[in-house]
Amino acid sequence: MSLPSSSNGKVFSLVRRLEEAVLVGVLAGMIVLAVTQILLRNVLGGGLVWADPLLRLAVLWLGMAGAALASREDRHIAIDTLPRLLPPRARAGVRVVTDLFTAAVAAVLARHATRLVLADRTAGAAAFSGMPAWVAEAVLPVAFGVVAWRYLAMAWRHARELARRPG
Amino acid sequence: MILTGLLLLVLALAGAPLFAIIAASALLGFARGGVDPMVVVGEFFRIADMPVLLAIPLFTFAGYLLSESGAPKRLVRLSNALLSWLPGGLALVTLVTCALFTAFTGASGVTIVAIGALLYPALQQAGYEERFTLGLLTTGGSLGLLFPPSLPLILYGVVAGTNVDRLFLAGVLPGIAMVLLLGVWCVHRGRRIQRPATFSFREAGAALAAAAWELPLPVLVLGGVYSGLFAVSEVAAVTALYVTVVEVGVHREVTWRQLPAVMRESAVLVGGILVILGASLASTNYLIDAQVPEKLFAFVTTHVTSKFTFLVVLNLFLLVLGMILDIFSAVVIVVPLVLPLAAGYGIDPLHLGMIFLANMQIGYSTPPVGMNLFIASYRFGKPVLELYRASLPFVALLLLAVLLITYVPALSLLLVGK
Repeated sequence: MSLPSSSNGKVFSLVRRLEEAVLVGVLAGMIVLAVTQILLRNVLGGGLVWADPLLRLAVLWLGMAGAALASREDRHIAIDTLPRLLPPRARAGVRVVTDLFTAAVAAVLARHATRLVLADRTAGAAAFSGMPAWVAEAVLPVAFGVVAWRYLAMAWRHARELARRPG
Repeated sequence: MILTGLLLLVLALAGAPLFAIIAASALLGFARGGVDPMVVVGEFFRIADMPVLLAIPLFTFAGYLLSESGAPKRLVRLSNALLSWLPGGLALVTLVTCALFTAFTGASGVTIVAIGALLYPALQQAGYEERFTLGLLTTGGSLGLLFPPSLPLILYGVVAGTNVDRLFLAGVLPGIAMVLLLGVWCVHRGRRIQRPATFSFREAGAALAAAAWELPLPVLVLGGVYSGLFAVSEVAAVTALYVTVVEVGVHREVTWRQLPAVMRESAVLVGGILVILGASLASTNYLIDAQVPEKLFAFVTTHVTSKFTFLVVLNLFLLVLGMILDIFSAVVIVVPLVLPLAAGYGIDPLHLGMIFLANMQIGYSTPPVGMNLFIASYRFGKPVLELYRASLPFVALLLLAVLLITYVPALSLLLVGK
């Protein structure tokens, strides 16, 4: 068995495409909206009320989507000097531990993020200009969930590598 | 508590992503204090509350797009036309292009890949010593960090709560001082190298014309911010749009179809930085709750009495920090702790920013972590140790620059009018 397995490959490619669509859409939208806002402000003397908070929110969404992507490609910022010096088998062993740790932290963050979203949904809190707070926050549980899942899969890959290599 | 701290430190050194380490320490800290750990996630959400942060993805995208286009080639050609008649001309060309390019790409290793590939063969052909060339390109990879609109400058402004416009101004003279110091060394080492006898107006004109579309960029960034007409994030938006129009629309060196890949690349860097920022907002909040800055201040003030000694200790600390941590994590994690300390000794936050980043810049070229060493090793196919030895004279000069920046606050504060 391999993780992610081919049977649920469709789901993963969907997540992947969704992630890329969010990235590209949000970044392109940010550029267009920010420039439009400048034009409106300088030509008409007033911009769109909702544009600034939406742009700030876009930074969070882009950042979280980028973090999920960085997890897929194993490119999070880390101090990787010592593991580099280890022999391959030991390195795979260390990776299993650090991957599981990261997956656990991300899972805890996803859980608390879900609580935050649910709480704000019940309370009916608003973020800005009629945007409910829970919608704005929804990226957090999703992204942390994806990060947790990917590090779990990575731990699995490294564990298999560990099992394959003779001691 | 000490045990969990040690455990997290071991995990960090074992290569666990730093955002997970910081988030774990915040989660554990709040849980121990009886606070709902949900606040950690709430702190992440504060990222959506900081207007200046908008500049980070936009400038990152612009920088990555520039490095994918023919802009590095045009920049090298232009500085070559303008500077190559000087003694050590080609080495000076390297310094200037690295500094300008890094300002836009934020020293993420792109400079060594984009500029190094062009100038490494050229420098060798011109007759520069191998070791000098390697050292120059390795340290050049992070030169220009202090020039606007570099990402570390923006991030420092966000974390320290200082005005990014003023930081952009503060960085200009210290940045120039660094380039000048290294420039003297380049002239000295390159004085016997053959060079074109005279300045060619023709080539200079042609190079200027070729770079005509990119030339307004520094003017746009500096002029936009310094004139006070635009906020930093607005300048970033205009820059991103302008670079897209020029490189995709006019030069057509990057196609529309390649654009999503460039966006993806910049999003990975931005995402990596922002999750660390989010986690640090939470952990800093916990540290403030636990009165860590006050305790640290009390501890340091009983042992360090003068501003002069404090600056010495600060430099040593930051140099070691720069050897272990990358610049983004270091800014986000350590600045909240150092800032109140420095304020206690009467150090201006803008000045502190320059000291901090200048020290971190050196860390790029020192073992064990020095990112420049690894990228250059990969790019030029040389062992890391050889690159380290090659970088030593340059690192020594950068240290001199750090001392200058540290003990001559006017360098950082003159243009800001303090």
